[in-house]
Amino acid sequence: MMTDEYKIAEGLYYTKEHEWAKKLDDGMVAVGIDDYAQAQLHEVVYVELPVVDSEISQAEAVGAVESVKAVSDFYCPVSGKVVEVNMSLLDSPEQINNDPYGEGWIAKIEPSNLEADLGKLMDAAAYAEYLKTVSH
Amino acid sequence: MDIKDLKKTHIYEYHVAHGNVVDFGGYAMPVWYEGIKAEHAAVRDACGIFDTCHMGRTWATGPDVERFLNYMITNDLSKLEPNGGLYSVMCKPTGGIIDDLILYKINDEKYWVVYNSSTRDKDFKWLKKNSKDFDVKLKDVSDEVAMIAVQGPKAEEVMQKITEQDLSKVGRFTIADLTVCGYEVMAARTGYTGEDGFEIYVPDTTPENPEKALKVWNDLIAAGAVPCGLGARDSLRLEAGLWLYGNDMDESINPLEAGLGWTVKLEKEGYFIGQRAIQKMKDEGAKKVLIGFKMEDRGIPRHGYPILNMEEQEIGVVTSGGLSPTLGYGIALAYVPPEYKKRGTELYIQIRDKPVKGKVVKHRPFYDESVYGWKRDK
Repeated sequence: MMTDEYKIAEGLYYTKEHEWAKKLDDGMVAVGIDDYAQAQLHEVVYVELPVVDSEISQAEAVGAVESVKAVSDFYCPVSGKVVEVNMSLLDSPEQINNDPYGEGWIAKIEPSNLEADLGKLMDAAAYAEYLKTVSH
Repeated sequence: MDIKDLKKTHIYEYHVAHGNVVDFGGYAMPVWYEGIKAEHAAVRDACGIFDTCHMGRTWATGPDVERFLNYMITNDLSKLEPNGGLYSVMCKPTGGIIDDLILYKINDEKYWVVYNSSTRDKDFKWLKKNSKDFDVKLKDVSDEVAMIAVQGPKAEEVMQKITEQDLSKVGRFTIADLTVCGYEVMAARTGYTGEDGFEIYVPDTTPENPEKALKVWNDLIAAGAVPCGLGARDSLRLEAGLWLYGNDMDESINPLEAGLGWTVKLEKEGYFIGQRAIQKMKDEGAKKVLIGFKMEDRGIPRHGYPILNMEEQEIGVVTSGGLSPTLGYGIALAYVPPEYKKRGTELYIQIRDKPVKGKVVKHRPFYDESVYGWKRDK
């Protein structure tokens, strides 16, 4: 799905701060920032990853994505325990620009309150409507 | 505010067609065209151009002009030759910095004064207000003279293609009358990137009648220059260790704190505004000083981040910071008490609640001058 120039991946859940969460087959949840967020930042040069094994709450600032000019906090879309982080972003932060929903994933979370958390997020269709209201 | 309601420079038409345009102090200005990294690299490796029409330009003329300007600024104009330029600050009586500026001497009774965009109205009013007892005329021509910066090791080569005169004869920090694109212009061999280059002043063109300015801009691009936005302008000046007014200096900062003591000539003839306050700070010693800082652990310092000593006590603040695209690590300008200013001193910058280690380094410039910048080995 495309809203204006931004790609919105189907099957993912979105926050108003432009993060996404994706249920994986093994019960884990992958999280990252979406196409709108990467386009606003432009040229990501640095990613501060969440801490592996840390317990986090939904909407907690657990990392940051930075361009030459700007810093954007990363608010984790679901609660749980960080089981893995995308170490390849340390050397190739531009993966977030090139493939925000794929190679640009930030962390995998073992969710602790998944259904309730997802209930507070938007699906692709609702997020597409929301994006239309965001000035850019 | 909508972009089209902002103040426009002469180059606005190009910005909206090609750039990512934002509200910059009320002006519609591009942060980048293709991307900050590529634009930054173009200036370090070859040649980039910047729209600087939003900056302030004033003609100061009259029999008293030299005495008047020397009263306004901390540096000393009296030894300047015709066509020579001088960097200085002007201060309030408190010693606080009103702005930094460059003054070019055309002749004994005529000076060209160039200053910042954010302080444009304030500076002109300040000059005007203090000029009453002098036989001088001040004319703000910022909107009638376009200003384009051409920067990079290939700046001369690129600009030569559209210039009649031999540019190799224009010395560093001097100003010359030139014919560019067939127009009579002035150009000064200076800039805000650390690289060789020129600032071209194109007269008789306004934001409403920008054809001459756009012609120079577009011909420079055709000659091989890469158009650059404010993002690269900021990352380039930071690598060169150059002050940004409003960040690294303002009316609460004395030039001796800002590392600008070399622009203060306390012994020059006649009083200048701020002299007593600066002399007092010289006698008593500055309580904080500007340092350059390099991150050793991962993290990017930013404006406003606290700086901590090894006991993790807050001792100062970052005034400019970012990732250096040329060096590949985070660099910053920060104010700390003088006991921490020695190069090699290890300190922390607090980044999102975490102390991240780095050290005090040489910062004018941060890069190796044999490899980058206007003094580089040819």
